[in-house]
Amino acid sequence: MLSSIFTVGFLVSLLAGTIRLATPILLPALGQIYTQRAGILNLGVEGTMTIGAVAGFSAAYKTGNLWIGLLSGMFFGMLWSLIMAWLSVTMRANQVIAGIALNILGAGTAVYVYRILFGVQSLPPQVTPFAAVNIPVLSSIPVIGQIFFQHNILVYLSYVMVFVTWFILEKTTFGLKIRAVGEHPRAADSKGISVAGVRYAAVLIGGLYAGAAGAFMSIAYMNLFTESIVSGRGFIAVSVVIFARFMPVRAMWGALLFGFASALQMRLQALGIDMANQLMLMLPYIMTIAALIFASKKAEFPSAYTIPYSRLER
Amino acid sequence: MNSKIINSIKQFVIAVLTIVLALAVGAILVRISGNDPAEAYTTLFRGALGSKARISEVLVKMIPLTLMALGMSIAYKAQLWNIGANGQLTIGAILAILPGIYLGLPTVILLPLSLILSVLGGALWCGLAAWLKNCFNANEVITTLMLNYIATYFLAFLVYGPMMDPDGGGFPQSKVLPDAYHLPLFSAQMRIHGGIVVAIIVILMMFFFWRTKLGVKIDLIGQGDKIATYAGVNVKKTVMVAMLISGALCGLAGWNEVYGVQYRLLEGLSSGYGDIATIIALLGGLNPLGIVIASFFFSALLVGGATMQRMTEVPYSVVDIIQGLVIVFVIARTAIHFGWPQKLLRKGKKDA
Repeated sequence: MLSSIFTVGFLVSLLAGTIRLATPILLPALGQIYTQRAGILNLGVEGTMTIGAVAGFSAAYKTGNLWIGLLSGMFFGMLWSLIMAWLSVTMRANQVIAGIALNILGAGTAVYVYRILFGVQSLPPQVTPFAAVNIPVLSSIPVIGQIFFQHNILVYLSYVMVFVTWFILEKTTFGLKIRAVGEHPRAADSKGISVAGVRYAAVLIGGLYAGAAGAFMSIAYMNLFTESIVSGRGFIAVSVVIFARFMPVRAMWGALLFGFASALQMRLQALGIDMANQLMLMLPYIMTIAALIFASKKAEFPSAYTIPYSRLER
Repeated sequence: MNSKIINSIKQFVIAVLTIVLALAVGAILVRISGNDPAEAYTTLFRGALGSKARISEVLVKMIPLTLMALGMSIAYKAQLWNIGANGQLTIGAILAILPGIYLGLPTVILLPLSLILSVLGGALWCGLAAWLKNCFNANEVITTLMLNYIATYFLAFLVYGPMMDPDGGGFPQSKVLPDAYHLPLFSAQMRIHGGIVVAIIVILMMFFFWRTKLGVKIDLIGQGDKIATYAGVNVKKTVMVAMLISGALCGLAGWNEVYGVQYRLLEGLSSGYGDIATIIALLGGLNPLGIVIASFFFSALLVGGATMQRMTEVPYSVVDIIQGLVIVFVIARTAIHFGWPQKLLRKGKKDA
């Protein structure tokens, strides 16, 4: 039994799977870094991803073009998060409640739209997913090549986005504004930064990433749409952000950790090995709580986290 | 007194209008899906309330939803955003079933014992989040969410592993509880069970709860930690107590599911009741009567919606959309300054 685990083949598929499975967690987590840094906790990522998944799948299926599918997922993810932005910024509603409501509404809407567009079919319609792109030269390196360089284009792009997100947040004026609005909205306001405007933008960017991740699930991973396609990845992304203390590179490690846990579970299951998989799947959540204890002690949360801003209140 | 009554009536009317508006949107969606809204809603209504057996189904759903929503209301009044109801139900259910499967006690001892264990289990799971908040300033939204997953996987571990029914054909479920332990049914044809008595007792207790010293203290924390401290309330202690009670009621819902409905542990036991309970607590204005009414409405919607899906071509997702819309409308309503406790919907916790 153990001999079938400690083989190169097992290790390669495990690590390649880790990288692939981390992608739909990494993308929404990166998006939520913008949102949460601006002081808004969007628990509705799960619903946004489901919307992105159905929008991506429908567009890809109807046009036959996967890129249009991806763009559609991103666009509708953003559009959906506009509701969250409106509720949390304009209406100054409680963000936890708004997020939960939008999850229920998002799941319902996605399934409804799918039903209207595709009806009830005995075999679910499928798309041909994004194919693996073998990076020249690198992909032919034994072991390393198979683990890192034989993924589909969206996987590579997601990891590129780690750098892009870091750059935007740390090195641009826009990133500075987002952090200012999350740390001290009143000061930002007095400097002429539109708190509402920046927060809207931050929530919409979060929706864009989540929509892309949803589309990844339906047109680059599962090749079809089901009601439970996201299955908790949105919530995991939220926890990865906190685990990562709002840093893109750390979020990548967090996403890889969750990816590893689920890849390992899938690989072991494929081998028919009965280990306490469920206990292993628990581990990342326990580690998130542990990270939270650490993060909270050091007070690394944005000071205005979950607090709506009003000029009238002090 | 009079203005208070008028205010409650106003709240009630607004809640009803919210629901009517959501149902109207639902009707449009039913029409777009190529079905007749009148027929769909008639089927939904009959499916929920058309016969004694159907009403019994609604009541069966109402028990856990009401208990959990009441639990949520205690935490929410204190501005503690406990979203871990599913996990607290799960841990309550696990602890409650253990003596039933393994000890073979007489029913008169087993039922109260398992009830106490479920309450302890739920309280422990929620109290853990309160402890993390008090000691490490850890945001309870995230910790209760994480504890949900941990509880869910723990349940899965048990029903796939040590507690799996050896004669269950490999299904992820535990052994069935002996018949003697099942909560008594009121009629052999219906599923409504003795758990409703416990639920009614809890509801009655909740009516008095907000008049007790503890209830007032919890309400004060909700006004802000500073105000509560000035009023001489020990904030940390009260946070802990509020969360313990909140979790205890969710755990009790788990006892009810195990001893009154499922008679065993199975994967996905909480069936996402926690989210719906959250919505019910808010729609009910965090007061016990409002919660019972809102819980009745949502239970009827769930049960009737399932019938509608079976009997007509209308997709069940319409029911989810109606649920989601109700709460979005409730939140959005604050904009037009109706009699909703604005503070509640607006403020997150500052020390998140």
